[in-house]
Amino acid sequence: MEATFDSLLLGFSVAFRPDVLFYAFLGCLVGTLVGVLPGIGPLAGISILLPATFGLDATKAIVMLAGIYYGSQYGGSTTSILMRIPGEASSVMTCIDGYAMAKRGRAGAALTIAAVGSFVAGTLGVVLLTAVAPPIAKFALGFGPPEYTALLVLGLIFLAYMSSTGLPRTLLMAAVGLLLGCIGIDVMTGHFRYSFDIKELGDGIGIVPVAVGLFGLGEILSTPSKMVTEKVVPPRLIELLPTRSEWRQSAMPIARGSLLGFVVGIVPGSAHIIASFLSYAVEKRVSRTPEEFGKGAVAGVAGPESANNSASTGAFVPMLALGLPTGPVTAVLMAALLIHGVPPGPMLVNEHPQVFWGFIASMYVGNLMLLALNLPLVGVFVTVLRIPYAYLYPLIIMFCIIGVYEVNHSIVDVWIMLIMGIVGYLLRKFDFDPAPLVLGLVIAPIFELSLRQSLIMSNGNWLIFLERPIAQALLAVCLLLIGLALLSLRLKRRDWRAKLAEAEAGEGAEPG
Amino acid sequence: MQVRRDHVAGGAFVIAGVLVLAASTDLPFGTLASPGAGMLPTLVVVLMLALAASLLLDAGASPPIADIDWSDVMHALRVTVVTGAAVAVYTVLGFIASIALLLFALTFLLERKPLLHAAAFSIGATLLAYLLFATLLNAPLPRGFWQ
Repeated sequence: MEATFDSLLLGFSVAFRPDVLFYAFLGCLVGTLVGVLPGIGPLAGISILLPATFGLDATKAIVMLAGIYYGSQYGGSTTSILMRIPGEASSVMTCIDGYAMAKRGRAGAALTIAAVGSFVAGTLGVVLLTAVAPPIAKFALGFGPPEYTALLVLGLIFLAYMSSTGLPRTLLMAAVGLLLGCIGIDVMTGHFRYSFDIKELGDGIGIVPVAVGLFGLGEILSTPSKMVTEKVVPPRLIELLPTRSEWRQSAMPIARGSLLGFVVGIVPGSAHIIASFLSYAVEKRVSRTPEEFGKGAVAGVAGPESANNSASTGAFVPMLALGLPTGPVTAVLMAALLIHGVPPGPMLVNEHPQVFWGFIASMYVGNLMLLALNLPLVGVFVTVLRIPYAYLYPLIIMFCIIGVYEVNHSIVDVWIMLIMGIVGYLLRKFDFDPAPLVLGLVIAPIFELSLRQSLIMSNGNWLIFLERPIAQALLAVCLLLIGLALLSLRLKRRDWRAKLAEAEAGEGAEPG
Repeated sequence: MQVRRDHVAGGAFVIAGVLVLAASTDLPFGTLASPGAGMLPTLVVVLMLALAASLLLDAGASPPIADIDWSDVMHALRVTVVTGAAVAVYTVLGFIASIALLLFALTFLLERKPLLHAAAFSIGATLLAYLLFATLLNAPLPRGFWQ
């Protein structure tokens, strides 16, 4: 414990450097804007701005990019409450009661409760991250290739199980991602795979063009400007204070949402989305006045907003401690660390303590910055929403092109982005979630390497995965999850994932 | 038989899987003790084909293909064509000319904004972006044949 405290002090000495503070602030500011703007989520925001971090060192880069991620969770609530448009997917549940509160003239109170809930949850999440990540990393130091293979399989199966689009569709997307990840030179044998004499494909397909195409351009293609409304009235500063009763009603939902969100955040999948949905369901279940939900219940704002923030922090645990991305956002953040020559995983704490602890300490500071940014400046952020979408989306396309081109100065990457934009548009039409595709692409090289190393180690004996206790346990969990998913398919049960799909599709379904 | 969403999706993935398998014939599979460059792609394609087949088998439960809302397809097509054209000339004309043309085409031709507004927006936004990336962030943007 004392060692953790000393390390955290080291982290704060890094986080309080003026240059690191500046990039944390920049990340939080951009993240809030990304969260506020419908149609551009944290993934697209991080991907587009990734090349802008190339001139920075690893600490500043990850501090800024992570700031965008958790900042977007704060910003997402603004449009949900004021316009009933989720700025990003994890704010879907906030739309229901947040907008109902706004209609009753309590928009300011809803925004404050969302911001304070996000702050408490974000800070608690970082405290838990500080306590949990180092011991997990220490434990993972004993992992060999078979354990890593099993862990990555578990990650994919977990993602498929948690997905709202169903097991076969999610695994299909992950398989496409794994295949895309096989493009380029095979590092073990030097063979060119699927490069079709295009020399730029020799290095493989980058994560940035794929992520920006699927999530940035794909979203723009499926959003004509006539479908975007720009009417919004920001609350006055004086209206931001909740009443004593509203504070009382929000205290326990914030506490529950924070804990629930962190636990869900560790699990692979779109954790921040699932966490907000589960929190809403829990709050409705434990409430003495469940009939208030949907009509402006304070707990319906406080719980989900806390949960999605805490989950976004929880998602950093497997990324930092195991080198395992649990979703597309952490996958891109992991790619950012790799680009800066800092491989995330169990060795990170020992080999790059300044990056690890500096990053964690910056999150404490970042949460404070976000609280200070989000309340007094809500009017400023809402002004951004007044930019007509007809002018906004051409700007986003411009940033997509700049962002993707600047990674490798390769026009082939920009073409890949455009193709992925079309693919993303079509995937949405056919009800596929593109997130597992990005995850498959990111883990493909690690997965292939650990699988092949395991087989070479065992002289071709597949049983190596069943002979080592940790791998055995991880694969047993995989089997259990597949069994549960198949059972659910067989019974055609309309479980919480089906309800989540409805909520994400904006059909107004309420969790039961 | 009514064509449903997952008939089309599953069929497309089956065709894609077969094409990838055909393109994988020159990759050595190796042995279990010494896996080759083709082992993982082959295993993943087989998994993909199995999953696509399961989609096809269960396609009856998916909505009819005609139920998919394609009202945004013209917008998507136009934006794709304009963006594709800009990408095609990006390194030839350079950042300023190609991006200004892209923004102008999107706002004036697609969104029907007034000519002067669209022109001012396109030139202003392009120059600001150039200033931000090329000057402040030192990111080298393509200059095309002006170089």
